[in-house]
Amino acid sequence: MNPRPDFYAILGISRDATPEEIRRAYVEAARRLHPDKNVAPGETELFLEIQQAYETLSDPKRRKAYDATLPPAESTSSILTPEVIFSRPQLVRLNEPQLIYVLLTLRPSPEQLSLPLPALNVCLVLDRSTSMKGVKIDLLKAATIQFLRSARPEDIVSVVAFSDRAEVIIPASYYRDRLRLETLVRNIQPSGATEIFQGLQTGLAEVQRAYNNQRINHIILLTDGYTYGDEQACLNLAEEAMRNGIGISAFGLGTEWNDIFLDQLAGRTGNTSAYIAHPKDIQKFLLEKFKELTNILCDEVVLMGELSQGVQVNYAFRLQPQPGPIPFHHTTALGTVIRSEGLSVLFEFLIHPSALNSSPLTLWSGRIRISMASQPIPPPPIPLRLERLVEEDASPEPPPPAIVQALSRLMLYRLYEQARQDIQAGHHERATRLLKSLAEHLIRQDQHQLAHTVLLEAEHLQRKRTFSLTGEKEIKYGTRALLLPPPGSKQT
Amino acid sequence: MNICSKCLCPNPVGALFCAECGASLIPTELTTQSFRTDRFDASADGAIVSPPPITLPHRDQAWASLHLIESGHILPLADRNDYTLGRYTEGQPILPDIDLSPYQAYAAGVSRLHALIKREGKRVIIVDLGSSNGTYVNGKRLTTRTEHLLNHGDIIALGKLKLQILLH
Repeated sequence: MNPRPDFYAILGISRDATPEEIRRAYVEAARRLHPDKNVAPGETELFLEIQQAYETLSDPKRRKAYDATLPPAESTSSILTPEVIFSRPQLVRLNEPQLIYVLLTLRPSPEQLSLPLPALNVCLVLDRSTSMKGVKIDLLKAATIQFLRSARPEDIVSVVAFSDRAEVIIPASYYRDRLRLETLVRNIQPSGATEIFQGLQTGLAEVQRAYNNQRINHIILLTDGYTYGDEQACLNLAEEAMRNGIGISAFGLGTEWNDIFLDQLAGRTGNTSAYIAHPKDIQKFLLEKFKELTNILCDEVVLMGELSQGVQVNYAFRLQPQPGPIPFHHTTALGTVIRSEGLSVLFEFLIHPSALNSSPLTLWSGRIRISMASQPIPPPPIPLRLERLVEEDASPEPPPPAIVQALSRLMLYRLYEQARQDIQAGHHERATRLLKSLAEHLIRQDQHQLAHTVLLEAEHLQRKRTFSLTGEKEIKYGTRALLLPPPGSKQT
Repeated sequence: MNICSKCLCPNPVGALFCAECGASLIPTELTTQSFRTDRFDASADGAIVSPPPITLPHRDQAWASLHLIESGHILPLADRNDYTLGRYTEGQPILPDIDLSPYQAYAAGVSRLHALIKREGKRVIIVDLGSSNGTYVNGKRLTTRTEHLLNHGDIIALGKLKLQILLH
């Protein structure tokens, strides 16, 4: 028997939370559970408990008296087990900057795996601009219908089609009246320009209308074109979605779309963009996404904390699920935790000599905040502190295999990324050299086809001084895909 | 600083892979190939004197054989009068006649089209085809695209990959 959750658990904070954290947790919980908004039965009672918890904890005197009545705190989260691996056991006292890598993995604890799969509230936001004409739109419609058919009785689905304006094809609802709804999808006709904001805004409204924090609330955007002028509005919308617990994934079809923008858009919610080379693959990608969404254990994992003086994060990269770079800030959305795989992120820390005055040196300290569709009250955040001793001599110990393996694959993507930056800066020779190195490494890792694409691209670069649209996406998403563990090696 | 041994670019301390070329910066025993140099004795003038060639089982058609010193394999040269030596990679327009990639050619620095061995009457000749890491005969580097006469038992090095030529 679980005892009644204490006030800290109700607010989803730890016992040593600061007054500011208490206030923030309350505001957030209140926004979600306010009687004007809540939908599930029992949420009004929950809101009253939150109210009571906040009234007690926000008053220092009452908080102290309340603390005295509590049993000793339980050990940290039993939902996710964080595992931290450093590239070396210690830092070295040096007069130059040095790097250290940290691999953070969050694995679901075994009892979490037996929880029922979450219900979805998902909206497909589909590009129907003129460029989709022909086989593309036909395959897209077929894939959409397959996606809808995979919906379970408890899932809520909606479909929005957009060009320079958006139209709700299927409003957020259970997928019951199949024949009628599928006819609506079949009647989608391509015409007009691409304005992603129109589609996103309408899609977000559908998801919000059916929003329930016990579901996975998600927008799947699929486009084959560039959007012009509304990028910033889209990003703002994605941030709003993130604040409201709604994720966005983005698929780019063909080669005429802005991968950096779609990455940023999805990245705002801890997701990434994906590249669909051929329209015949749309169905495969959509069905995989459906499966991934139903297997989400934590729909949001956020890192909140501070770096020490003289320490910076050069690079943060999610290895799984959805490999992709993560913009690192004070508050960083790391992504979702999938049941079978967990979440793993690799950080590259740069330590300046000025930071080495104290030993052990705390690189970063803070909390991992998680939210779960299965729990209306967010579980308490997991405290995390990354620290290393500072020694005079380097350790001869080789770096842990897990880090070497991850970096040897990430290095491929980073060579590509660096080449792309060099092209933008006009350093074509260096970019060509980087691509040739990339091809060599790919050959050694038996990725002959991708190596071939990279060599062709290096040639194209020498002639045209830029990437080809196809080559660029093939290499970017090809090297990213290499980061996923090979099929069959997944841990159970 | 941590200097990459492959491209000589500086990397910060703690880096595990070179940011310029992607080469591993982790010291391991496996990154350098060891060659059994003890089997060659340097003579007084610095030239390398090869060990006595091993006698081959008689091969009817072969006019010469290549003895891969590291692995001990013997590759007979028979059907045609010239053979290009190199390393096969996917997407490469011109393929070498003899692909040395099973013998660590990549790690030894063998180019894709490295050298040519041909027969002219009774003479056997080697030509470097503009390889990156050079072709050596008995320790002396050959001038690119210049013919060099081979003698029975000569040690040829393609980059660091060593072969002995056996004439029949």
